Amino acid sequence: MKRLGLLLLLSLAAPWAQAQSPSQVDTVLVKRAIELREVPGDSARSLGHLAAQTPLARLPERQGAWVQVRTAQGVTGWIHMFDIGASGGAKPSGNAAAGGGLGSLTSMFGKATGQPQGTSVATSTVGIRGLGAEDIARAQPNLGAVGQVDAMRLDAAQAREFAAAAGLNAYAVPALPTPARPKPAAGQRGGPGNPQEAP
Amino acid sequence: MNTRPRASTRMRAVALAVALCAAIGSAVAQDAGKAIGNLFNSITRPSQSSQPGNPAGALGGLLGGGGSKAGVNPGELVQLLSQSGDNIDPAREAQIGKQLAAVLLGSKPLHPDMLLQRYVNQLGRWISLQSSRPDLHWTFAVLDDPGFNAFAAPGGYVFVTKGLIDRVPDEAELAGILAHEISHVTGRHHLKAMRKTARAGMLTQLVGSQLKNDIGGALSAQLLALGRDMYARGLDQEDEFEADRVAVALAARAGFDPYGLVSVLQHLRSAGADAHFTLTLSTHPPSQQRLDLIEKAMGNRLDGLAGLPSASVHQRLEQLMAAARRNQQAPRN
Repeated sequence: MKRLGLLLLLSLAAPWAQAQSPSQVDTVLVKRAIELREVPGDSARSLGHLAAQTPLARLPERQGAWVQVRTAQGVTGWIHMFDIGASGGAKPSGNAAAGGGLGSLTSMFGKATGQPQGTSVATSTVGIRGLGAEDIARAQPNLGAVGQVDAMRLDAAQAREFAAAAGLNAYAVPALPTPARPKPAAGQRGGPGNPQEAP
Repeated sequence: MNTRPRASTRMRAVALAVALCAAIGSAVAQDAGKAIGNLFNSITRPSQSSQPGNPAGALGGLLGGGGSKAGVNPGELVQLLSQSGDNIDPAREAQIGKQLAAVLLGSKPLHPDMLLQRYVNQLGRWISLQSSRPDLHWTFAVLDDPGFNAFAAPGGYVFVTKGLIDRVPDEAELAGILAHEISHVTGRHHLKAMRKTARAGMLTQLVGSQLKNDIGGALSAQLLALGRDMYARGLDQEDEFEADRVAVALAARAGFDPYGLVSVLQHLRSAGADAHFTLTLSTHPPSQQRLDLIEKAMGNRLDGLAGLPSASVHQRLEQLMAAARRNQQAPRN
């Protein structure tokens, strides 16, 4: 129990969680049948089998492709991020998950959110809205600010100096291949389709 | 600069545009024709003002092309918007970018924290050095806004909101976001989206509804309308997928955990109900679809670079602040 409390505390302290409503712990669903690993890695000891669609609480720890999760039984372990599917109908505890919020925005791709269509209003964030389409529609060009931004520009040598101090190294990494698409790529024709659709 | 050999291309572009207008419904075609006519008038009219701060002046220069002072070819804009984005010369691309950056900076002010602004420039410039266009005038800035969003403009402008900075837990995730925006610039995706809108004959409707906001004359109204429309609607879906794919490799090249962007998308997927994310979500394809495509492209081919240690953004800023303090205290000779 003590451990659980500590984990909860940790998740609240994480920057991501902190910026959101404290009650919000991401609930995720397992995409395919996998093992819950004791530590990150495919060869790590299994803590148990997870069937597809098992709901898990995602904890803030991440190591590369692996994220820490907690099962409904309170077991904490690691799964690969690509084994996480859409969170579906599972609602995060205590958070009135509201769909939409996009009413004022029309996208040429339709409502390309993959969220359930809903009309309720988010309770935890009402009144705080980020930069939206309305702001951009109203914006008067500010070339003076562009001048300020231009003055902040750094050159390649300054960037390399930063990288060296930060311990960042450049690697030769080939471009990723373009995956074959189930449907022929046709621009935005037809929109994104049903996001819940299994590939 | 050397437009003469392209004259026939331009003629073809004009012919294409005219054919397109004719193909669209007659009412629209009429309006579009009128708008382009007005536009041409304003291009050919000598610019009253050549102050650098005047958008009309700047755009007049932009459409005039490099060095040609006497008269602007009316076919230029049609060509600009009809031709493939790959053929727009870098000087014009940069000038269009400057105008669009002005629109974004007109919507939200710069965040006052100069250390943060410098950090984002250091990080972004380092990543851009590994991109396919390392020599652009890459410029990064944090907008003072609580929302979660990132934008780019042609020529190398990249903007992130303060709300985004506050929510990304580590530098690898921020690097993934910057790499995604950088990839939109290297792929010239903004020019492509604006060209598509212009060619679809929608320019007139956009300008008609926005003309009352016009401060820079009819000419800049055209670009403003296209720019505002693009940022509100987003880019082509396929270009978003491409930017994800290019960004993963780009971030890895710059020494970051390639799973940073994947982690951001995982968070975005769970954040659908949050009003801070409204524009981000409405202008991008569903996160699940993006994740599925990244998974297909990545497989496990970058797992050798996965799990590289990553500083939190907070830690990095503390380090930079400490370094700045040391520099200040160091005795000057």
